Amino acid sequence: MALLVDIFGYLSVILHGLVIVAQSMTLGGLLFLVFLLHPLSSRLVQGDALEQRIVRLTRWSAWGLVLAELATTALQVSVLMSTVDLPFSNVMQASFAVAASVKILCALAIAFCLGQRTMARSIPRTLLLLVGLIELAAATATTHAYARLDDNTLLMLVEGLHQFGAAIWIGAIPCFVVVLRHLQDADGLRLVGSRFSRMSMIGVACVLLSGITMWIFYVGDAQGFYGTAYGVMVGAKVAMFIGLLGLGLGNFLVTERLRKGGDASVTRMRRFAEVEIGIGFTIFFAAASLTSVPPAVDLTTDRVTLHEIAVRNAPAWPRLSSPDHDTLAISQLQTQLDQDAARDHQVTQSATTPGSGILPPRNAEDIAWSEYNHHWAGIFVLLIGFLALLSRAGMRWARHWPLLFLLMAAFLLLRSDPEVWPLGQEGWWVAWRDVEVAQHRFFVLLIILFGTFEWSVRTGRLKSERAALVFPLLVAVGGAMLLTHSHQISNVKDQMLIELTHTPLALAGVAAGWSRWLELRLPGRGGRIAGYVWPACFMLIGVILLWYREA
Amino acid sequence: MQLNRRVAFATLALLASLNVSAHAILTDSTPKANGSVAAGHVALTLKYNSKIDQGRSRLLLVAADKSETPLAITASADKPNELDSATDLKPGAYVIRWQALALDGHITRGDLPFNVTPAP
Repeated sequence: MALLVDIFGYLSVILHGLVIVAQSMTLGGLLFLVFLLHPLSSRLVQGDALEQRIVRLTRWSAWGLVLAELATTALQVSVLMSTVDLPFSNVMQASFAVAASVKILCALAIAFCLGQRTMARSIPRTLLLLVGLIELAAATATTHAYARLDDNTLLMLVEGLHQFGAAIWIGAIPCFVVVLRHLQDADGLRLVGSRFSRMSMIGVACVLLSGITMWIFYVGDAQGFYGTAYGVMVGAKVAMFIGLLGLGLGNFLVTERLRKGGDASVTRMRRFAEVEIGIGFTIFFAAASLTSVPPAVDLTTDRVTLHEIAVRNAPAWPRLSSPDHDTLAISQLQTQLDQDAARDHQVTQSATTPGSGILPPRNAEDIAWSEYNHHWAGIFVLLIGFLALLSRAGMRWARHWPLLFLLMAAFLLLRSDPEVWPLGQEGWWVAWRDVEVAQHRFFVLLIILFGTFEWSVRTGRLKSERAALVFPLLVAVGGAMLLTHSHQISNVKDQMLIELTHTPLALAGVAAGWSRWLELRLPGRGGRIAGYVWPACFMLIGVILLWYREA
Repeated sequence: MQLNRRVAFATLALLASLNVSAHAILTDSTPKANGSVAAGHVALTLKYNSKIDQGRSRLLLVAADKSETPLAITASADKPNELDSATDLKPGAYVIRWQALALDGHITRGDLPFNVTPAP
């Protein structure tokens, strides 16, 4: 079990992201029902049917919260039981386990009790809101705020406000999309649109107010922002938040036009809302990733300076030739161990133990190896973006561009982890314990999947509209996952400088995925513009990768 | 000679595994990272940036020969961000492999390498 702590740590970040998504959708659905749909349902055509749909969605979200919270708690509990040698009853008394139990009970109460009959009466409605509030309070006990040395109460209130804002705004958007899909009359759209805009504004205000407060307490100053992993992740959240505000503003203008009795594109509002869900959920994964790093204010040493960032990112010619595998630090160490064992007539020790927490040694050749990988990946992606533009311009032969993804996947699978079979001495299966290897393999799988789907769509092998959506969705998922990607490098500054390049990559991936989504789903000029945006994003990713440096 | 090389590698590798990009980080310690203490009864203090669940954390002393000894943690309510222990140490290179459960439920681990010098 000790060898699985790192991989469990990464899994817990992913599961925590799912918990935030499910919690936001549960609370968002509850708030949408109580403050929007139930009061308006008598004035809406099909109001009852809509309420039934949203009740069902919210109940499913609550079940999702139960499952995600159970999974993440089970993971933490099992790690503690095996590594600290504690009985189950003892671990379940830990603060996080108590908070998780409360969250699960609240989610179960919502899943079982939420219905149109409870919505119809004010006391059950109020009680359900109270259950939601208790769940939210329990959720703040699993945030940085609870473990801080000072200002716990204030910070927990701020965290609660932050999560409430996320729920009433982003968590409620899926409900809004469902209602928009089934609402046909202009009056109904006016009513729902304008009230949801007001709810979103409350959410934005809560997120902004709490976000600024957390910035003061957790980031502290400018260097904490650009010089630490926490600050960079906050920057990614802010960038996506601005994107969401832009989309929200677009929808607000539509609802305002509708409110004044004018004509406006409801389809555009729906498509923008879909993208808002995607970017919003990506923010939730960034938030989950934030919980795994220390607040910037605590990291007083090992911060990266602007000068170091400038030096690292000075333009240089890409590295297109690879060092020999034998010159890598891990290969040299293994050779040394082999020789020692042969001389002493002992069994050879492995130079690496995946999952041990001991980071592998690195030398200049390792850095060159990694840069070579990134630069060739950059060439692949740059070419993909360029060929996608040519294909869009009518060059038929260029439609096979997704096949380059498969080539890139093979390249990455072979070279990303040189200590692992087939190049290295580490076994294929045992290497799954290594969190970085596991992440690389996950990305390779994603690339194979979206490359295959997109090539099948482009060449007419798959004709379903839904099959076409796999590519943008998986690209966006890949971008989101890149925000949670960690490199096992002992030098904090080097790790930080790498994250500074990977965060823009992730953001460009998210933008590429969702702009392709809009191209497919949004008719007219908006879709056409989006059709040029995503290849440009791929080309930008290619340029960033070609720019990548580790020394 | 090869044993020395192996110990040197182990020390280097453990040094490299200092877990600094984790949720709970060491802000201070006795002995200091890569520092020295005199042989004898040594008080060990690991101070973190957040409150720690002392009863559900772990300290493991790793000697140069890779032998591992669990260290008893002294719970202290007025030092919520510390893991304290004490043990008798002979001269040599050691590493404290720690695993801390922050109060908010995050488990992090890291290593604190140090040397024990002969008592004056």
